[in-house]
Amino acid sequence: MSKVYFSTWNGEFVNNINTPQEEWKESAYNLPAQYDSHRASKAFIGWDGVALFDKDVDVIRLAMEYAAQYQEYSEACGRCAPGRWGGRILYDLLDKIARGEGSKADLDHLKEIGKSMQVTSKCEIGKTVPNPIIDLMEHFEAEFLECIDKQKPSKHYHEEVGYIAKITAPCTDACPSHVDIPAYIEGVRDLRMDDSLMATRQTMPLAHVCGRVCPHPCEEACRRTNLDEPISIMSLKRLGADWETDHGYDFFHPMEKKPSNGKRVAVIGGGPAGLTTAYYLAADGVEVDVYEELPVLGGEVAVGVPEYRMPIGKYNKDIECVRDMGVNFIVNSKINADDMRRFESEYDATMVATGTRISKKVYCNNERAEIKGYWGAIDFLDKVNLYEKYGYKISKAEQDENLLTTDFVDLTGKVVVCVGGGFTSMDVVRCAIRANAKKVYMIYRRDEKTIIKNTTYEEYHEAVEEGVEFLFHSAVADMRDEDNILKSLLIDKFELVPDPNGGRAELVKVEGASYVIEADYLIPAVSQSADLKLLPPEWEIEMTSWATIKTNGKDYMTSRKGIFASGDCEYGPMTIVNAVGQAKRAASVMSRYVLSGEVTLTDDEIMEDHLRKLRVYDKKEKITGWLKGIPRQHSEVLEVEDRKYNNKEVNLGFTQEEAMSEAERCMRCYYIAMVQA
Amino acid sequence: MNKLINFKIDGISVEAQKGETILTVARKNGIYIPTMCYISKTSPCASCRMCVVEANEVDGFILSCNTPPTEGVEITTNSAALQNERTNIMKLYDVNHPLECGVCDKSGECDLQNKTLEFSVERQSFSARDQLRPLQHWGLIDYEPSLCIMCEKCVHVCNEVIGDDAIEVKFGGYSSTIIPKNSETLDCTFCGECIAVCPVGALTSSGFKYRANAWELERVPATCAHCSAGCPLEYETRHGSLNGADEIFRVKNNFEFASLCGAGRFGFDFDNIAVKNENAFGRAIEALKNAKAIRFSSMITNEEAHILELLKDKLGVKLFNEDARKFAEFMSSYSSISGKLHHSGSLDAIKQSDAVIVIGSRIATDNPGVRYALTTASKHNGAKIVYAHPMEDTLMQNVITQMMKYEVGTEEGVMALLAHTILKDSDLDESERAFFDELDFGYLYAETNIGEEELSHMMKSFMRAKKRSLIIGNDLIAHDRSSNIAKLAALIEKYSDFSLIVVPREINTLGVSLINSLDCDEKISNVVGYNAKGDFVISSLEGADLAIPALNQQEGTFVSIDNRVLPTNVALEFDGYTLNDIAMAFGIYEENTINYTKELNKNSGFKDIIFDDLENFLSPLGEDNRGYLLDEVICQTDGKLEELNDMPEFNGTIIYNCDPVLQFNNYTFKTVQLPKENLLLGSAQFAVAAKIADGDIVEISFGETKMQREFKLDGELKGTIALNPTFDISVDASRYRFEKSKIERVM
Repeated sequence: MSKVYFSTWNGEFVNNINTPQEEWKESAYNLPAQYDSHRASKAFIGWDGVALFDKDVDVIRLAMEYAAQYQEYSEACGRCAPGRWGGRILYDLLDKIARGEGSKADLDHLKEIGKSMQVTSKCEIGKTVPNPIIDLMEHFEAEFLECIDKQKPSKHYHEEVGYIAKITAPCTDACPSHVDIPAYIEGVRDLRMDDSLMATRQTMPLAHVCGRVCPHPCEEACRRTNLDEPISIMSLKRLGADWETDHGYDFFHPMEKKPSNGKRVAVIGGGPAGLTTAYYLAADGVEVDVYEELPVLGGEVAVGVPEYRMPIGKYNKDIECVRDMGVNFIVNSKINADDMRRFESEYDATMVATGTRISKKVYCNNERAEIKGYWGAIDFLDKVNLYEKYGYKISKAEQDENLLTTDFVDLTGKVVVCVGGGFTSMDVVRCAIRANAKKVYMIYRRDEKTIIKNTTYEEYHEAVEEGVEFLFHSAVADMRDEDNILKSLLIDKFELVPDPNGGRAELVKVEGASYVIEADYLIPAVSQSADLKLLPPEWEIEMTSWATIKTNGKDYMTSRKGIFASGDCEYGPMTIVNAVGQAKRAASVMSRYVLSGEVTLTDDEIMEDHLRKLRVYDKKEKITGWLKGIPRQHSEVLEVEDRKYNNKEVNLGFTQEEAMSEAERCMRCYYIAMVQA
Repeated sequence: MNKLINFKIDGISVEAQKGETILTVARKNGIYIPTMCYISKTSPCASCRMCVVEANEVDGFILSCNTPPTEGVEITTNSAALQNERTNIMKLYDVNHPLECGVCDKSGECDLQNKTLEFSVERQSFSARDQLRPLQHWGLIDYEPSLCIMCEKCVHVCNEVIGDDAIEVKFGGYSSTIIPKNSETLDCTFCGECIAVCPVGALTSSGFKYRANAWELERVPATCAHCSAGCPLEYETRHGSLNGADEIFRVKNNFEFASLCGAGRFGFDFDNIAVKNENAFGRAIEALKNAKAIRFSSMITNEEAHILELLKDKLGVKLFNEDARKFAEFMSSYSSISGKLHHSGSLDAIKQSDAVIVIGSRIATDNPGVRYALTTASKHNGAKIVYAHPMEDTLMQNVITQMMKYEVGTEEGVMALLAHTILKDSDLDESERAFFDELDFGYLYAETNIGEEELSHMMKSFMRAKKRSLIIGNDLIAHDRSSNIAKLAALIEKYSDFSLIVVPREINTLGVSLINSLDCDEKISNVVGYNAKGDFVISSLEGADLAIPALNQQEGTFVSIDNRVLPTNVALEFDGYTLNDIAMAFGIYEENTINYTKELNKNSGFKDIIFDDLENFLSPLGEDNRGYLLDEVICQTDGKLEELNDMPEFNGTIIYNCDPVLQFNNYTFKTVQLPKENLLLGSAQFAVAAKIADGDIVEISFGETKMQREFKLDGELKGTIALNPTFDISVDASRYRFEKSKIERVM
């Protein structure tokens, strides 16, 4: 909630003109009144209106500069007639008025062109650029007329004024990595897969991965939802990557690699956060060494996410793309505190991206790691995936530990119980099915609706189809073993009891409803914690209350200068796209840090954060100019019998026809936002 | 389940199929919605916004070109509000459009002129600061950005239909323009489709610039004479400036639905100019009386081929045409297994495919019609395309999903492996199954250099495909083992859902193979050449003993790769003698050559239709109403697969006789606009193997041929095979195009 002098944002009309500042009514929106630590904003103008924070704003120049932005951005591409000419005419006419040469007819033309653009433009930039301009012309008509009548320039026309603009879209804003979604969808629509892929790689180098296994928060911010159903954004992403791979092209990098600047950075961890940091730093001319503990690259996406969801052949292409930018990978090297101390002098900065790989406990009775059959989800998935994807066999000692008689995970005849409710737990149970387990249970504390919300509708239903039995409102109370070999589990049943005072409902154990399941394996998949023993204790790196590395979430530097952190080890267990988004920002900051020694954000990044706070997506917005009821496309999924006993990729992706018709549904909701600061 | 969607446009009940848009349904029902940037053969450009319409329950306008209808929606195509916005858009298009209609090439056929008049834009209320937009000269194509309305039809066509992907939009608001992609100047195959589709005078032909006005030109519908794709086009003629005789000024095509390559579009001036020379005619008759054989090329109409067949009977001469003879042989073997005369596929079938195998052809230059169909399949259907050939082709990279590089000469082995893979689960008869079971796979994998993984990768990529095509190129037709190869192709067509397309080498190879009974060419004397080598040469090229009209000066028909009989017409009158005159001199009497159209060989599927009854247009919805499709003919299935021969080995330096883009034969060589580079193109590896360097004049020897060419190093080629053009020499069409050659530096 910000104090404003005047605002028309999102239809809320706040008029504090002629009111003393102490009495200003606040706006309900998080408008960016404070630009950064040393600059306050004077005005904010965007697709949904205009807000002034200061009396002294030259509104005519503000309108003109906003129209000028339309010419600057490639997204404001000029690819439709009303946009191309209309945008130019808006700017020329406003400039004419602003420099003191305008006429009343110009105001009429502005209104007419504005209306044409609103009604016939190809995308939201054309449709929304006139909005705040028309607002200003309406509410500040006197100022416009003064310049026209007196033929004099507007109040600050000849001065240096700072305007900072940013292009955004609701989906881009909601994406943790701010992927330019409308651009890559447009690449599909134009059948220019190379352009589509390069648009994605501007902020997300792992196009194969994100097009397959993202929980797609962008789809929850898709404006098409207000009309019928959201665009199948995730599925459209993989087309560009698949095209590059299918046609045997060299990698399409969206930028040219800068010449080496002599700086060196160490990245600890070869998962999505590490790979992303490396890619963008290498593009900027920094020499990057990535140290990976495991014998293979890719982090949890490689050893956690199973083959049938994320084929390693495709992920390896993404990894090769990163390597192609000029990154050095050193596998089989677990970094310890001594290494970290050494890195501080050998490298200009270090990025810690080690993830969260220690499985947490379920907290039941007799929960002891020595019991054979008690198998942490991370280790379980490691063993499954290292074998299935890379051929790494399980040693005799580890076979014994885990009651295996083969050098790979074969659960024939066994009963497997997994506790959890997130993506990791889904991966565990579906891999257990494919390992030929006799029976697989998922114990989840909450209900079906919540488990779908925490994963995806598809993931849950595919697991059910494959034969996983979900036990909701349940938890493991007791592990029962014989000579340290798991035999059975005592399961408690819970029920959701509504709060009589109208607060949150509580889960209460149902007495007498507990029962026993015979089980060979208990696999806890109830979140993970980070292994941060590599941080030298004398550095006293500040931690969060949930034992991850603390940063301010904007520049990703830890409490120790030059040491950065991103991904799960900073945020806690979260999604791939979150790790990539954090790492992208961090790489940008680190790229400047290694040259200047200072931690700064670019204007683009500051605006990104402001817009995130403002929330670009408006779920109540009524959409005009589009026909509703065009159904969302669904890609083909393998039949259960065809996929249950093997690792064939389950989701076959869109056919070209499905992709083209889904891409046509996209409304290309680009918006321009601009701050005067 | 293809459910129809029922809805209303302007109160009229209409129905849509899956994939149709409001605009396509309106057009099907004859309802007009104005468009500037829409082109039926590509995905919608959606840039002009003229096709906005209203729908009940929708606030604002919706775009009809890219919106599918929903059940029960009611669309209004015109209203005061729509008219107002469309007029505004036209006003915007006219802002700063240079008023050069007086000198602009497009004047008279310009969409901007048409629509400005249609929407009565009398006054311009808008203005914007003009910008410097310099003219671009890109060889055959000129671009004037100040005239450009950024409709994007050109980039869509270049990307989705042609496949060059040579131009792109440079974004930047009002200063947006079209630029060459990844290159300083336009680097493409110069098909000129961008010129054709441009609605204004922004993209124009530099050869046509300022030469004539659109309304002065006569339009003669015809069929392109350069390859077997049979593309429809129109020759546009007018009196030339100096002596008043008619000239062809340019070629146009129905770009909305069909495409035309640069050879068809810019290579139109191959007409023959001559007068009646009685002496020469007399000598021609004498030569024929004494002739033992007539040797002729496939650049001939069906009717003239028929006349030659009549002359063969009358005079008892042999007929030589190695190109058509090899083709006929191939198809005969094919028929002995398939039981029918004609292959099942067509260019349309390729366009609709989502799985294609192309084998034995450098298809981008052998047949652009097929290449464009492959591009459409790749872009619109995401087709998986396997390109089987000893050489890569960078022109095809954005379309090919699997390169199957086999060793030169091993086509029989490759076909056997392909057939085996495709027909693994098919219901073959005992002897056919035995043939495949008894193949020596180890030997074949080694000799062809195609591995089992490649074949299974191919089948895996074809897994979701619904329509499949197999395209057979000249290397298989001219192969020593073409007969057995044809049988394998027939098996694939018969027992799987692949449709088969066999690509004829010349414009009427297919027609000749169906009309003439051909003899093996021999080295004898007293051969009359009809557009071919001989002791007495009758031809439409220079240096002929008797001049006859070129193909753009004849009425007649051809048979295209689609098995369609296509008519062509006279663009320029010819004052000399024709083959029909010769026939009449021998008592074979018909007043006009086209009287023979209805006489064409019924046993080959020709129909009893007279020439003047043949239609020659594409319908407003794009249906091909030209000529007629050949009838299918049932054949005896007495063919048996033969055991494979040993795979030949081609070591050392190899020449591939294959033309560069835009050149096909001596006729395209004759034209003014088409590039004539006739160099031997090879990779650095080839240069090392042949011990030659870039710029050397070399002597190439293979078979009985010795010829000299300048060698040019080509960075895009790999390996020890060099490309040798043939458009400027005569070709022995009976030979496999790869030749083991001796290369010697001359200087």
